[in-house]
Amino acid sequence: MNPRTRHALELVLDNLVWFMLVFVLVVFSLLIPNYFQLGIFANIIEASSVLGVMSIGLALVIIAGHMDLSVESVAALSAMAVGILFCSSGIGLGVQLHPEWLMVPVSLLLAVLVGGIIGAFNGLLIVRVKMSAFIITLASYIWVRGLVLVVSGGRSAQDLAPAIRWFGIQRLAGLPLTAWIAIACYVIFSLIMAKTPFGRHLVMIGGNETATFRAGIRVNRNLIIAFVLAGAIAGLAGWLLAIRTSGATANLGVGLLFNAFAAVVIGGVSLKGGVGTLPGVYAGVLLLSAINTAINLMGLPANFTQVIHGLLVLAAVLLDAFKQTIRQRLA
Amino acid sequence: MKRMLFSVFGILALAVATLTPAFAQSKGTVYYLVPTLLDEFQTGSVSALELFLKQVGYDFKTLNADNKTDAQQSQMNDVIALKPKAIILAAVDFNALKPSVEAARAAGIPVVEFDRQITSTPSDFTSVAGTVEIGHVAADQAEKLLKAKNGSVKGKILQVLGDPGDPYTLDIQKGFEEKMKAFPDVKIISLPAMQWEASNAGTIVADQMLANPDIDLIFSHAAHLSVAGVASLEAAGKKPGDVMLMSSNGAPVGLDLIRKGWLNVEVEQPLYAQAAAVAMFMDKVVNKQEIKPGYYDVLGLKSVVTKEAWGPNIKIPGAAITKENVDNPAFWGNQKPPTDTVKSVE
Repeated sequence: MNPRTRHALELVLDNLVWFMLVFVLVVFSLLIPNYFQLGIFANIIEASSVLGVMSIGLALVIIAGHMDLSVESVAALSAMAVGILFCSSGIGLGVQLHPEWLMVPVSLLLAVLVGGIIGAFNGLLIVRVKMSAFIITLASYIWVRGLVLVVSGGRSAQDLAPAIRWFGIQRLAGLPLTAWIAIACYVIFSLIMAKTPFGRHLVMIGGNETATFRAGIRVNRNLIIAFVLAGAIAGLAGWLLAIRTSGATANLGVGLLFNAFAAVVIGGVSLKGGVGTLPGVYAGVLLLSAINTAINLMGLPANFTQVIHGLLVLAAVLLDAFKQTIRQRLA
Repeated sequence: MKRMLFSVFGILALAVATLTPAFAQSKGTVYYLVPTLLDEFQTGSVSALELFLKQVGYDFKTLNADNKTDAQQSQMNDVIALKPKAIILAAVDFNALKPSVEAARAAGIPVVEFDRQITSTPSDFTSVAGTVEIGHVAADQAEKLLKAKNGSVKGKILQVLGDPGDPYTLDIQKGFEEKMKAFPDVKIISLPAMQWEASNAGTIVADQMLANPDIDLIFSHAAHLSVAGVASLEAAGKKPGDVMLMSSNGAPVGLDLIRKGWLNVEVEQPLYAQAAAVAMFMDKVVNKQEIKPGYYDVLGLKSVVTKEAWGPNIKIPGAAITKENVDNPAFWGNQKPPTDTVKSVE
């Protein structure tokens, strides 16, 4: 194999999910009436914003060789906290700040703080007390959702303050600002993962925790930071979710966790840790969103969504195994 | 020290003595098996049933199944072992709970079906608004809205269902589509919001408004789904009145949307009356007395008790809430529980 072919093959392997996304978009555009229009593509990107942001935090922890099952509930709690304080209907207290724009940083800080605290709680138990990440975050997944129910009493908060809702309505280049926030998050965290020691250390920890520790890298500190970041990013996803639905209900975000896992796996992140990039995860999120939109437009029963998601995850894992085989042959 | 201990025990004994008459007054405990608490109607049903059952002398306990059929089956088994005076069941799954209902009744514990009718096996009393009937009321309203807008009953309706695994939403859909069949010029696009999750409904509305910009009416099967739908319409630059909206269950958020001009109609489930009816007939249920068919006044609503194959059944009419009557305190969405005390039916 000549170097040019090898280079082309490696490029395809590295960006397989992006090629899949383009392929799916082309096929849907050709086959589904009304699919091919800028508005629908904007919808796909907009609908991916919450899931996309949540998947970043999950991907960080998985790349570091752990997992965080609590992200969905954390996002719901953050959304509810924002909803209770800044919504004016339902259980919303309708808190007003002057000038009005102050509500944006305050609500954002609140959401991120709520997530960060739960992330720190998870991280400390997992890293310091050496408990299983699966069990600890599963427990958090349950008790945090329970807390949402407790603080809301099962009721919902609606009519989010216009200053905050502005991010869901205002558009820039055809996309709502919430979608731009998600894109900005991907750019920032992709840079952090690729260009900073912290990012590289997370990949190393996920690849071989013991070897990384022996190399003198502060494994525990980095892992705790990863869990805090996963929580805080889930909090940000909750903030976006509250904006998107103009409030919060007790069941808000239900089902997002499994979609986030699907996106991360489809995006090429290995559940064993040490492998994966965030742009790939974003492509995975867009792919899921493109398929959901296709199902909406085709009028298929939504049960098909889950079947397709499941098959897609399976296909991604098989493709990943296939990729590894080809890489071994290339080496 | 001894004196202090005697004083403490004395106070405790006094407290127990004070409490005892309260226990003596109770007619026993009734368990309510609620399908989920992630829904304002269900949360409201807990407080309404508690309020009315206490008024007729029963202690009240609730168990939440988190929308899991197997969890509710286990809860039924546990509650049967506790031998309560009665079980009020709002089934997660109408068919799956049939053996549990039969087991409770075989153990001598009366079962009251609340909100969700189980017709495949007898029960001691059923209090429903009728999910299929809610679909019918919604269809009547859709007919009026389309006629007012288009001159005749024609146009396009986007029907946003709840979770496709929930028989509640499927029944509303059945009732709605059954009646709308009479109008061949009406096209209905039905899509489910998985797990009743609001942002899923928002995505459906956003996509459909692009693919079918001529949608006249959006009918969501719960008010919180309408809220997300409105958020998507707002993001698409729509104003109140640009697209007609309708939803069902009568939750507070739906009433707020009517006041803001977004929602045209909310089909109410008469939560307070459904709960009050259970309390009114609880003595008869517990004492296994006959419940006579006929009309009864339940919190001012003319309700009819019929003898069905599955037992006595009270059906309470659902109401259409519009801008004209939205402030009526009788609607549970206004969160003003009735001040009148419920009395047992003699």
